[in-house]
Amino acid sequence: MSDATVAPPQLAHHFESLEKQQHAARLGMWLFLATEVLLFTALFAGYGVYRYLYSDTFQQASRHLHTWIGLTNTLILIVSSFTVAAGLDQAAKGKGRNTFRLFMFSVLCGVVFMCFKAYEYTHHFHEGMLPGRYYTYEALGSGPGGAIFFSLYYLITGLHAFHVLLGMTVLTVIGLRARAGRYTTEYFVPVELAGLYWHLVDLIWIFVFPLIYLA
Amino acid sequence: MAVSESHAESEKLHHSHLGRYVAVLAALVVLTVTTYLAAKVHLPAPWNVIVALAIATAKGSLVALFFMHLWDQQGANRLVFATSLVFVALLVGLTLADNATRFPLANPPGSVGALPAPEYVPPPQGGATYQR
Repeated sequence: MSDATVAPPQLAHHFESLEKQQHAARLGMWLFLATEVLLFTALFAGYGVYRYLYSDTFQQASRHLHTWIGLTNTLILIVSSFTVAAGLDQAAKGKGRNTFRLFMFSVLCGVVFMCFKAYEYTHHFHEGMLPGRYYTYEALGSGPGGAIFFSLYYLITGLHAFHVLLGMTVLTVIGLRARAGRYTTEYFVPVELAGLYWHLVDLIWIFVFPLIYLA
Repeated sequence: MAVSESHAESEKLHHSHLGRYVAVLAALVVLTVTTYLAAKVHLPAPWNVIVALAIATAKGSLVALFFMHLWDQQGANRLVFATSLVFVALLVGLTLADNATRFPLANPPGSVGALPAPEYVPPPQGGATYQR
């Protein structure tokens, strides 16, 4: 430990080596992602209960959504996840500018995703597909199933959309730092962790799509 | 030991994974189209959900293993994620099992397993009902 090698500037003083520091950062991110999974699981469990109790209404309700928007948004998120993974690959080779470009493409995908979501929500608002007691849509019968479906719909897709916005912010900040040359081939763990967050947003949508749109 | 392990962990990221990413992307697109087409077929009741969730799980595994590099990583990170999945199964499984095994009166009117509407008699007016 006492040899003359200079500690890399990114090494925090309480870590023995950069590798241990990066390992700790990675583990911390996975712990955070586990809590995110459980946050969404609570909503999925609620969905499961009411889907079981009002299965006919839920299946009808999902047919009143724009399936093509759900499908398009799924493909958009999958492609954006791919470009984030490719951005990490470029960061590992020390090509921070490419990382920035690929991350910005993913952010653009996020913008398109949110535009589709906004179009969809606007349509629902006009049709009276609103949550809980504001629900006035009449095509799904008189039971409470329709109102419950749309309450869960807004909770799940709304929380997911909030995560998309957060992910876009994270990708922008880390992408800009990568372009500024903050990361090296030895130290690019922030690029990796930003990518993990975006992949989780994709992962959750992969389950939202069949449950909400294809129920 | 931990040092050599985490060294291996970051070493693996230095290899180019671009080819693998392209393969995963292609698989994800194919599976997405498959799940869309499977939903169009309108399979009988339990199977539509089972098929949709099986495909979603396959897609999710691809993302977690290869985009999120769980395939390359060491035990601790895998353990954290696997533990969260155990709690997903507990939370969803036990909550659904609770609802699926209730006796009829416990389910709200108009839902599966609830009393049929004709048997539901509203409380008489003016009697021993609750006053608002």
